[in-house]
Amino acid sequence: MNYLEVSHLKKRFDKTDVLHDISFSVKEGEVVSIIGPSGSGKSTLLRCCTFLETISGGGISYMGKKAVEVNGSGKLEYAPKKEFREIQHYFGLVFQNFNLFPHYSVLRNIVEPQRLILKKSREDAEKTAMQLLEKVGLANKAKAYPCELSGGQQQRVAIVRALAMSPSILFFDEPTSALDPELTGEILEVIRLLADDHMTMVIVTHEMSFAKAISDRVIFMADGYIVEEGTPKQVFEHPEKERTRQFLAHYS
Amino acid sequence: MTFLEIVAQLGDSMLNSIWIFLLTLLFSIPLGLLICIARLYAWKPIQWLMKIYISVVRGTPLMLQLLVIYFGPYFLFGMRLTTSYRFWAVILAFSLNYAAYFAEIFRSGIQSIPVGQHEAAYILGYGKFQKFLRIITPQMFKRVLPAVTNESITLVKDTSLAFAISYIELFTEASMIAAAETSMLPYLVAAIFYYVLNLIVAGVMSMLEKRMNYYKI
Ligand SMILES: Nc1ncnc2c1ncn2[C@@H]1O[C@H](COP(=O)(O)OP(=O)(O)O)[C@@H](O)[C@H]1O
Ligand SMILES: [Mg+2]
Repeated sequence: MNYLEVSHLKKRFDKTDVLHDISFSVKEGEVVSIIGPSGSGKSTLLRCCTFLETISGGGISYMGKKAVEVNGSGKLEYAPKKEFREIQHYFGLVFQNFNLFPHYSVLRNIVEPQRLILKKSREDAEKTAMQLLEKVGLANKAKAYPCELSGGQQQRVAIVRALAMSPSILFFDEPTSALDPELTGEILEVIRLLADDHMTMVIVTHEMSFAKAISDRVIFMADGYIVEEGTPKQVFEHPEKERTRQFLAHYS
Repeated sequence: MTFLEIVAQLGDSMLNSIWIFLLTLLFSIPLGLLICIARLYAWKPIQWLMKIYISVVRGTPLMLQLLVIYFGPYFLFGMRLTTSYRFWAVILAFSLNYAAYFAEIFRSGIQSIPVGQHEAAYILGYGKFQKFLRIITPQMFKRVLPAVTNESITLVKDTSLAFAISYIELFTEASMIAAAETSMLPYLVAAIFYYVLNLIVAGVMSMLEKRMNYYKI
């Protein structure tokens, strides 16, 4: 089954079309990387998929359930409220600049959403949090506040916070772009661990060698279109489109 | 009258000034938060109403508002004014006035919180109310603390405006004694009192700021 299905998605800001006709799907356990020059619409695509932006055309489904669709007369149609809330639990998002809650300790950042939204008990939520922190090597920072952590550590906490909600799909929007170069490695390492556990992921990234190593599929976007899509081998080694070759030339 | 005699005689009215100060803060801060929420998130016509309210309250003198609230019931409806109403008119006028200022302070605080905080809460599944209560408001309070300190210091001095409706707070009584004794001493006592009260206010607020220093935004 397709965990995520995006069909003929369009997005317009005021009068400019930012996404033109985007269709793709993500299967269970797949790791999909989205690459492309900045301004090509990668963030906007993730923001549409996570309902941070409304869409201007097409539709988005999770687990075969229609989440949102623009109908024949151009009106937005969402899934019924209860189903929509359920669909929102299917995915998590890791932001470029972490967006941890600064007034909460690391532990509370991870525990509170589980308790409030998943209605877990404190013991349960803390157990999940500590197990995940352990996994990313931050168990000793549970009591720290975000401002006391390095960027790389904050991003690892943000990943744990998202994972603790047990999403079926995890989106990453350039998770290493706000970090000093020497800190990107630790984040990529964590994502690699998740891939080994067959976590379904969609990753927007400029780390080409990472994308090539980790992805089952790579999507190259430019100017609001999907220009090319295929296995890492196809896209990186034998790109069919001139636009893709131009873009990749910058990175070699 | 000696300095100490004057201090002793002004004791009760000093307490009255402190009550005006404390009760006004107690009522105007929550009211300001409500107005701010309505101003930002309510149904559009309510938003406009709040905007007009804030603009009128901030655009006219507090003393005039106080007179309107005190004499209004009598002039408009012929109601008899009781002595205790004098006190509550002061509290009402001050609270309504300061709520408008606090509403604007809170609004600027809320709007200065990065949009990423809203987005992270939304993605995790927080409802609007949960997000506001747990994520936005606590950070807002930290951000607005210096502005709230300023406002509180102004309020300490503004309590003297109750003079306008002859409510016996410190300034009113100091003026009466000064006139009766033809002495500047009562004014000196009053000045020292306001100054010391403001030192305390500033001290308490800086303690609060320190206590919130466990995190940075
Ligand atoms: N809120 C917005 N309002 C108007 N234009 C926007 C907005 N967000 C993004 N855009 C425009 O959409 C285009 C794609 O942006 P974005 O999705 O951020 O690209 P990418 O993530 O690939 O760098 C850019 O031209 C950008 O200026
Ligand atoms: Mg982007």
